[in-house]
Amino acid sequence: MSSIPHDHAAGHEHAHEHHPGGIMRWIMTTNHKDIGTLYLWFSFIMFIAGGSMAMLIRAELFQPGLQLVEPEFFNQLNTVHGLIMIFGAIMPAAVGFANWQVPMMIGAPDMAFGRLNNWSFWLLPFAGLLLLGSFLSPGGAPSAGWTLYPPLSVQTGMGMDMTIFAVHIMGASSIMGSINIITTILNMRAPGMTLMKMPLFVWTWLITAYLLIAVMPVLAGSVTMLLTDRHFGTSFFNAAGGGDPVLFQHVFWFFGHPEVYIMILPAFGIVSTVIPAFARKPLFGYASMVYATASIAILSFLVWAHHMFTVGMPAAGQLFFMYATMLIAVPTGVKVFNWLATMWKGSMTFETPMLFAIGFIFLFTMGGFTGLVLAIVPVDISLHDTYYVVAHFHYVLVAGSLFAFFAGIYYWLPKWTGRMYDETLGKWHFWLSFIFFNVTFFPMHFLGLAGMPRRVPDYATQFTDWNVVASIGAFGFGLSQFLLLVAVLKTIRSGAPAPARPWDGADTLEWTLPSPAPYHTFETPPVVK
Amino acid sequence: MQPDIGMRPRRAANLRTATILLSIAAVFFGGIIVAQYSDAPEVAIGVLGLAVLGFLVISIGRNVGRRGRR
Repeated sequence: MSSIPHDHAAGHEHAHEHHPGGIMRWIMTTNHKDIGTLYLWFSFIMFIAGGSMAMLIRAELFQPGLQLVEPEFFNQLNTVHGLIMIFGAIMPAAVGFANWQVPMMIGAPDMAFGRLNNWSFWLLPFAGLLLLGSFLSPGGAPSAGWTLYPPLSVQTGMGMDMTIFAVHIMGASSIMGSINIITTILNMRAPGMTLMKMPLFVWTWLITAYLLIAVMPVLAGSVTMLLTDRHFGTSFFNAAGGGDPVLFQHVFWFFGHPEVYIMILPAFGIVSTVIPAFARKPLFGYASMVYATASIAILSFLVWAHHMFTVGMPAAGQLFFMYATMLIAVPTGVKVFNWLATMWKGSMTFETPMLFAIGFIFLFTMGGFTGLVLAIVPVDISLHDTYYVVAHFHYVLVAGSLFAFFAGIYYWLPKWTGRMYDETLGKWHFWLSFIFFNVTFFPMHFLGLAGMPRRVPDYATQFTDWNVVASIGAFGFGLSQFLLLVAVLKTIRSGAPAPARPWDGADTLEWTLPSPAPYHTFETPPVVK
Repeated sequence: MQPDIGMRPRRAANLRTATILLSIAAVFFGGIIVAQYSDAPEVAIGVLGLAVLGFLVISIGRNVGRRGRR
């Protein structure tokens, strides 16, 4: 990719700022920037909602014994926290970035299907309300864990139906969004913008969108079968009727493991955009990054049963899934190597986006490494459903996806708002997040190795000390996130005016536009040379 | 596939791409349920799994490494 020389005269000097005002602007909008903003604010609200549940969980686990909530409610909190964070916070945030950035990065005037884009977003608040509203239903929210395993999910109350419906809606939203993104990337690139010239963020989203098209229907199909088991007398997963509960686990994880990469690949794309900008060097090994992303996506379909080693499977199956899982470390290692090589001998500066990107590399690599540990069958059998697994996936998804999204927010905020963020505030946000994240989740490795099971509201007293540490870290991490809100609001209200290209090394198409980016951009496509 | 500057051909190309993708998603959704009703559900679901994997390999593979196309 590297730098993209293009015709500066084309595209945006005739852009006009006309757009409807008031609430109707946001309800009726088909503009990719408005919809990107809606996605990002929605995901932040869901992040706060899911985070509040995490705070309650950590408050309960601050001491052994039952402190604040009943065990049943604790299970509900765990379940909805997972669902909200995955489907309500991380995925919509990634789509928000795609909406804002993909058209601008490929020189397209907008997404391919504006109304579909609007609809994709406006389905989400209703799905979010259904999920959160399930707490108010008879029997409360679902308590089967975010994986919705039967038989629990077949037996629980109406909250599960609301959750299944919410998953259907969010799945439909994701599929529509993916169709829009693929079509935009394949059909609406500016002249001269070949596939192998696209910024890596666009590449990662193209592959992510293909993953979504492949797996969301599988999830939708499996929860539909769950619904018919609950209400229409079928027995797909109901052992009492001759069904097979383990089948659900296979189908769920056939969706679930690629889902992990759906959440992390856009983060890879953001980090691959931020690091070259602040290292002031082109991305090292662009083509190998594209191939590595494609390899990760394809391999992600061949490893699902590593989540199920304890369920029981032939030794040959265990070996296959163990080695296939380890194989993913190869393309992932290529990426980490390339990020480090990009920084090597670069003229680096450490503004907030770069700090979050480097924090991402460090912590995501740790999370990936514990994933390798868990890929080893005998180790996994010992550590399955312990806090080691909780530590692992939070290192991948919080320090991975979330830190990269923070990097992306600070990186593109000048382009989105036309104002610079407060660097001091951003750095406070980074350091507090980095420290408290590790205080929260690193001790969970010890707890897991010592045998503390996950999804329990009470625990043996020997686990107390590290749980106290983890809870203190969690409160600190949670509170630190309000700094992001303050930083964004302060930027919007009183940030210093941002130049068109505030970062020396930023060389993708969006930086050729003025800041803030005009409402309509690239109505005449730029020519990429 | 080919980006087009003209609005009408682009619209048609967009609709074609979207229809193909939506059809694939619909087949996967229906397939996972229909597979349970076949005489050999394990084989049917295996075939569907391979179809999903094949879709991914083909869709990504045909784009990766293309340098010359606009």
